[in-house]
Amino acid sequence: MTLVELTLYFMLLSLISVGGMPSVLPELQRYVVDVKGWITPEEFMQIFAVGQAAPGPNILIASLVGWKVAGLAGALLALFAMCGPSAVLAWWVADLWERFRDSPWRKAIQRAIAPIVVGLILSGGFILATPGAPDWRLWLIAAATAAGMLLSKVNPLWFLAGGGILGATLL
Amino acid sequence: MSTDVAPPTSLRELFLGFLSIGARSFGGVMPWAHRVMVEERRWITEADFAETIGLCQFLPGPNIGNASIVFGKRWFGLSGALVAFLGLFGLPFIWVLALFALYADFAATNETLRAVVTGVGAAGAGLFIGTAVKLGRVIARKPAALALIAACFLAAGIGRISLFIVLPVSLGVALVCARRGWL
Repeated sequence: MTLVELTLYFMLLSLISVGGMPSVLPELQRYVVDVKGWITPEEFMQIFAVGQAAPGPNILIASLVGWKVAGLAGALLALFAMCGPSAVLAWWVADLWERFRDSPWRKAIQRAIAPIVVGLILSGGFILATPGAPDWRLWLIAAATAAGMLLSKVNPLWFLAGGGILGATLL
Repeated sequence: MSTDVAPPTSLRELFLGFLSIGARSFGGVMPWAHRVMVEERRWITEADFAETIGLCQFLPGPNIGNASIVFGKRWFGLSGALVAFLGLFGLPFIWVLALFALYADFAATNETLRAVVTGVGAAGAGLFIGTAVKLGRVIARKPAALALIAACFLAAGIGRISLFIVLPVSLGVALVCARRGWL
């Protein structure tokens, strides 16, 4: 039953995942950790860490959640449930979007979504850096990474490596 | 530049192109998508790439996943969309599971490894915060945009209110603001 529940949840989440994985992370964490208790906050952060460090779209974090909750079937279903409904939408909307290139509504939608996505990504970052009680060491790593990313143009993988080293020294 | 681009001529070529995007996408998929589609294989122009990615960012779903659907459909219809999507996700799916399985095996007994991965997670969180600041800088000159960013953060990040409530409400408010020229 967990598998059905997980699949249906991801299909719904897919439809509101404006901004991709970063903006749905707070909701995903809320559901699988707080509401369902399938995963602990620390496990969630580690799933996220592995998902970020591995090559590929970070939507695969959903697959890791599925894997943790229901094994390989969970991982596959999570991927297709998380991408399916939004893919169907993309299929239909791509042509419409082109046709309404100059419509004021298209511009209004673009302007409306931008600040929401920013607020949600910020939430995702905050929640991931605070898996339990606030810990200054995790916040320090997060703040240093954010600053480094804003001030330089190196591949983000180097920051993840730096975070790993800081983690080994500080934690 | 725009004259010498040509779309893939076969499903096989489409699949291999997206496979090579997924396979190499350490540290983020988008730069590799650009490299493969615009620079190496010359399927599309720079402007076309930017336009399509722009659209995909405003749709729900992973934006590179959506892009695979949109381009696949444009060139080969339904089979193109499926082939591009599977090409993109095939290898990363296997790798992320393998990496996690490997990690789970070692982490149970290894304190240091757990600390390293937690540090990586915190750095990943920092990348999100950096991304939010980068995107936010562009729009935050308008007070309404700043207020919306803050409201979404307070609701979803601090208040832990469900996104199924936060998104429809904030989108409604934001659309009104946008129509009035406040955003």
